[in-house]
Amino acid sequence: MNPDHHSSLNPSSSLKSRFTKTFLRSLIKINKQRPFPYCPREIFQRCHRVKTAADKSLARAAGSRRVWSRAMLCKIRNRSLRRGCQQRPSVRRIIIGYQTTKKGYCLQKKMSDDQEVGTDQASKLRKLVPGGEAMDLCSLLDEAAHYIKCLNTQVQVMRRIADIHSS
Amino acid sequence: MEMGDKDKFELEKRSDNHINYHSPDSMPSDWRYSSANVANSSLGLVSTDNQMPVCRGDLVGVSSCSSASMVDSFSPGQWDHPTNSQNLGFCDISVQNNASTSNPMGIRKGGPASLRTGLDKTLDIGWNPPSSMLKGGIFLPTAPGVLPQSLSQFPEDSAFIERAARFSYFNGGNFSDMVNPFGIPESMDLYSKGGGMMQGPQEVFPGSGLKSLSVVQGQKNVMNMGDSSRDTSLSVEHVAIEGSPLKNEKKNGSLVRSHDEAKQGVGGSGNESEEAEFSGGGRQDKPSKLEGNGGELSAKSPASKKRKRNGQDADLDQAKGTQQSVEAAKDNPEVQQKGDENPTSTPIKATGKQCKLGSQASDPPKEEYIHVRARRGQATNSHSLAERVRREKISERMKFLQDLVPGCSKVTGKAVMLDEIINYVQSLQRQVEFLSMKLATVNPRLDFNTEGLLAKDILHSRAVSSSTLAFSAEVPMVYPPFNASQPGFIQASFPGMESHSDMLRRAINSQLTPMTGGFKETTQLPNAWDDELHNVVQMGYVTCAPQDSQDINGSLPPGHMKAEL
Repeated sequence: MNPDHHSSLNPSSSLKSRFTKTFLRSLIKINKQRPFPYCPREIFQRCHRVKTAADKSLARAAGSRRVWSRAMLCKIRNRSLRRGCQQRPSVRRIIIGYQTTKKGYCLQKKMSDDQEVGTDQASKLRKLVPGGEAMDLCSLLDEAAHYIKCLNTQVQVMRRIADIHSS
Repeated sequence: MEMGDKDKFELEKRSDNHINYHSPDSMPSDWRYSSANVANSSLGLVSTDNQMPVCRGDLVGVSSCSSASMVDSFSPGQWDHPTNSQNLGFCDISVQNNASTSNPMGIRKGGPASLRTGLDKTLDIGWNPPSSMLKGGIFLPTAPGVLPQSLSQFPEDSAFIERAARFSYFNGGNFSDMVNPFGIPESMDLYSKGGGMMQGPQEVFPGSGLKSLSVVQGQKNVMNMGDSSRDTSLSVEHVAIEGSPLKNEKKNGSLVRSHDEAKQGVGGSGNESEEAEFSGGGRQDKPSKLEGNGGELSAKSPASKKRKRNGQDADLDQAKGTQQSVEAAKDNPEVQQKGDENPTSTPIKATGKQCKLGSQASDPPKEEYIHVRARRGQATNSHSLAERVRREKISERMKFLQDLVPGCSKVTGKAVMLDEIINYVQSLQRQVEFLSMKLATVNPRLDFNTEGLLAKDILHSRAVSSSTLAFSAEVPMVYPPFNASQPGFIQASFPGMESHSDMLRRAINSQLTPMTGGFKETTQLPNAWDDELHNVVQMGYVTCAPQDSQDINGSLPPGHMKAEL
């Protein structure tokens, strides 16, 4: 699918291209900052970093207009801040640059008549979509749709990168 | 302005109430609706966003607390004008009263004395052809200045509505006679007509708004109280909605949306919710109110009455009038038709399709009445309208998600659809994890300095590369408990997948076949899951790169995804 949902005036700056650029940059950083992992633990760490970088670049590429992107960035930021000094300065810088008030945006609406759809399903979806806990079903579905689009883009790009590197 | 609209609506409602009351003189206290209360409460509510409680209080007397729900539904809407919802609620109540003849008295009582006089006048007007009334309603949005005129006509409308309620079948021609330039009153009349027709439309409203629409459509000719009321309300709403959108572009969007929603809501219990949503659609207070009145009502007559009562506020009235007049003017010819169309079209285009208004003016006016009636019986409750609107929104989004998630085109029902969505999101997230693990382990043989080249390659390259699945010992993902029976997934995902994934998949499949002999889930994967996920899962089990992937490509084990692909 075409993940150009964020088509801006510049045709080249689609979600896909934005994500690709950001992700590649962070991948390069990861590869430079750490030696190639040879033990499982390092691989795990690296994998986690790569995943975080992917999520972060995806959220940034999606823009801060979306609840899930803001929620994701906040989550990453909080996670890194919680780690404290362990965080790399670059990561912290990036996080600080994206100080979006996720909490403020999340609607703490009570879902009154939201039980027409399976509650458990809705709750499952809420857990899956970042920032979905405080949204009514309507906006949750909206965010889920956008999130699915972005996830597809992410998977495509990552797979492509993996293919290129592995071939 | 808000106040003005609110007042107008209140007046309209009141007038409707009065009108309704005439026929049934039984409603007593039921209608706390009493104009005074309503006006005060609605006004009070308007200022705050708690109109619902106030309205509810007034509406308590109403047999069908739809108005209250309507109010509620409106409040959540973006209507700054809380009164709108209230008005609508009232209208619903009045309409319902007419229909159910349970609150007719209440409605009448509720209206202020002035309204009553107006009602008398309307009654005097007699059974104006519904068409005229519809036109009047459509006029609402035409011009704010019309408000005062319309207000005076409200009584006529309310009376008319009342008559309509009384008469089992509202004569379409009568509407036209109704002078009320405001769409609201007309719409209300329509609703009242519907309400009148419907004895007990309230119970008629089914839970699903969409269903109601279809019902409306199909039952236009059926005087089914519930359906007709719904339809009528739908049509009325539609008319109202149409009027307002015509007036304000952005309102139109919301109006149409709400109108559609309202219409749909008529059929379902979400009438009020719909209306509320309509108003929320972004219209400014007035249009939403108008819509709410139109849409919801079958019991809109009380709303018109209410509006009349509020006619005191020229400002409000004007605001309403303009909206209503616009709506009325435009919708008059269309309203009737729209009523028919709306139920069907609104749900589909619930999202602010302004152009809908014009296209819908093809249904015969007769259907409007039916719709109006249905609405009356259906959803005087603002809650139901708002609910309907909300439900329509949700169904729209579900449809969109259906397109997004592969293999879900045949899935019907929210529960199954949600399951599919959840599974798909989970699978995508797992794929991301897996790919990140893969990227972590892959040795960047390529020079990362060529990032630009890489980016271009990634973005533009569509070449299929049978990359070797060099995978470390780590199994990144846990095999997810795939839901069975997702055969569509693979097929759906196929077109979306990159071609290289197919090759990978085949390679993996071929390799995994022997490995997953006892793993029945994997075999089910191809049938149930998108191939990517299948790949990912399978890759977890592949510890060696499929060097001879190409060789294996052609030799897919039977029953593997390839068949599905």
